[in-house]
Amino acid sequence: MTPAYTLRNVSFAYSGEPALRVHDLRISPGEIVGLVGPNGSGKTTLMHLLAFLEQPQRGEVKFFGDNVHGGDLLTVRRKVALLLQNPYLFHESVLANVMWGLRLRRAPSDKARAAALEALDMVGLDGFAHRYARSLSGGESQRVALARALVLDPAVLLLDEPFNHMDRESARKTEEIVVQMSRERGTTVVLTTHAIDKVHSLARTVIYLWQGRVVPTGPENLFKGNLRAHGSLFDTGRILLELENGSTQGDFVAIDPLKLEILVTAPDPGDPNVYSGKVVGLSDENGRVRVVVDAGERFTALLGPSDSVLPQLGLGTEVRLRVRSHAITVL
Amino acid sequence: MEFFLKGFVNAARLIASLDLEVYLIVWTSLKVSLVATLLASLLGVPLGTLIALKRFRVKSLLLIVLNTMMAFPTVVIGLLFYGLLSRRGPLGDLDLLYTPAGMALGLFVLAFPTVVNLTLAAIQGLDPRLIVTCKLLGATPVQQTWKILTEARFAITAAIVVAFGRVISEVGIAMMIGGNIRGFTRTMTTAIALETSKGEFELGIALGTVLLTVAFGVNGMLFLLQRGKL
Repeated sequence: MTPAYTLRNVSFAYSGEPALRVHDLRISPGEIVGLVGPNGSGKTTLMHLLAFLEQPQRGEVKFFGDNVHGGDLLTVRRKVALLLQNPYLFHESVLANVMWGLRLRRAPSDKARAAALEALDMVGLDGFAHRYARSLSGGESQRVALARALVLDPAVLLLDEPFNHMDRESARKTEEIVVQMSRERGTTVVLTTHAIDKVHSLARTVIYLWQGRVVPTGPENLFKGNLRAHGSLFDTGRILLELENGSTQGDFVAIDPLKLEILVTAPDPGDPNVYSGKVVGLSDENGRVRVVVDAGERFTALLGPSDSVLPQLGLGTEVRLRVRSHAITVL
Repeated sequence: MEFFLKGFVNAARLIASLDLEVYLIVWTSLKVSLVATLLASLLGVPLGTLIALKRFRVKSLLLIVLNTMMAFPTVVIGLLFYGLLSRRGPLGDLDLLYTPAGMALGLFVLAFPTVVNLTLAAIQGLDPRLIVTCKLLGATPVQQTWKILTEARFAITAAIVVAFGRVISEVGIAMMIGGNIRGFTRTMTTAIALETSKGEFELGIALGTVLLTVAFGVNGMLFLLQRGKL
C-alpha cells in the first residue's frame, strides 16, 4: 500500500539552526500516528512539513507516492487539515468560520451550510452556529477549529496538541472523532501530545522525536556523547558502550527500554556493557513495570509483569544492568 | 465667554436659517474631501496591503519615505501643487489651479500616505496565525489577501476616517490651490480663517460647529461599525 507520507533525508532549519533531520519516515494511510517528544524536539516543524506549510530545505516529502513541488502546494494543502495548537478563529460567526474552507472550494452555499452544521454537531457544538467565534472559551475555540478541519473531509488530519485546552469531556469526544475518522473515512491521523497515555491508547504507531531526529524509543535512554576507537565504542562521559557493528558518525545513542536486562546475580565475566547500579524508581506503565536504574547514566527499563527478577527489586536494590549491543542505536 | 456664547447663538441661527452660503461652503468641503479620500483609499489600501505582505529590498527605505510623507506640512504640499498647476508650471495646461479638482488633487497627496501607512500598520498588526490558517484551509493568494483585508476591516476603516479627518480639517492646501473663491472653492477651513480675520466671528463659529459635527458624525459611524450595528 502506498504510504500517505514518505520522508527521505529531510532536513529543515530556522535561520541556519537545524530543527529537524529525518532520514527515513513512512506513515501508512488510514493509520493513527502519535508524535511524541519534548518541547523543541521538532514536532511542530514536522507537522508543518506534513501540512505543506513549509518545504524541506533538503530531501523529499512524498504525499501518497507523489513528489510535492511548489506548484502542487495548493492542491496537496487542500487534502490535508492541520489543527493548530492555539487555533485562530476569524472575526465572524462560528458557522462562517466552519464554512469558509468550503466556500474557498466553491461548494454550493446550502450544502456548505449543512455540512458545517453537521461538523459542529459532531464536535458537540450544535447551537453554537450563530455565536461570535472570538467570544468562545479556549476549549470551544479548539472544537470550532476541529469542526472547520473535519468539514473539509481531508485525506490527512494533523492535530497539534489537540487536548491542550480541552476539559475531560471534550478530550474524550475528540478521541472518539479521531478513531471514527480513521475507521469510517480512512483518514490518516497524525497527532502530537504530551499526554503519552493518550497516544498509546489512540495510536497504532508512535514516532518519537528527540532534538529534531526520529528516535526508536521515547525520551528515555537517550545519551549524548562521542564515538571512540574507530566507532566501536560510544563514550557518554560517564559510561562506555560497546557497539555491535561500529558506527562512523553519530553523537547520540538510543537504547530500547524493552531490551534492557536487569540482573541480580553476577553476569558472565567478559560480558560487554554490564554496569552496576541502584534502583531509583519503580512504577507501573500500561501493564509493564518501569524500572529506573542509576548506573552512571540513568537507564529506564520496561519489564513484563511476570519478569522473574521483579520480586527481588525495590528502591535502593543493588543490581547489574546489561545493555545488549543490538539494543543500541547510534544517531 | 460672552464672545463665544454670542458666536454660538448666531451660528445656530445661521445653520437653522438654511443660509445658502454656509451650505455651499460645507458642500465644497465635503465634496473635495470625499473625492480625495476616496481616491487615496482606492490606491492606498491595496498599496499598503502589498507593502505589508511582500518582502522586497527597498521596503525599509519605502517605509521611511511614507512616514516622512505623513509629516509633510500642508502648506508645503500647497506650495508644490501651486508650482505644478500654475500657468507656468508643468501641469498648467490642465487649468486646475483655483478649482475644486485641483484642491482634491492636493488633498489626495495629503490623504494617500496616511491611508497607506495606517493600512500597512493594520495588516502588520494582525495575528500571524491568520495567514497560516488561510493557507491551511486551502486559500489561494487572492483569497488569503481578501480574508486579511476583511479581518483588518475595522482598522482600515479607521485609517480612511483618519485620512478624511485630516483633509477636511486642513487649511494650507485648500487656501493655496483653491484660492478661497466664494461660491466655488471656499471651504469651511478657509472660510473660518477669512471670516475671523475680517472680524466675522459668527460665521467662523458656525462653520467650526459644522466641521466638528461632521467629525462627530464620521466617528460615530465608525464606532457603530466597529460594534457591528451598521
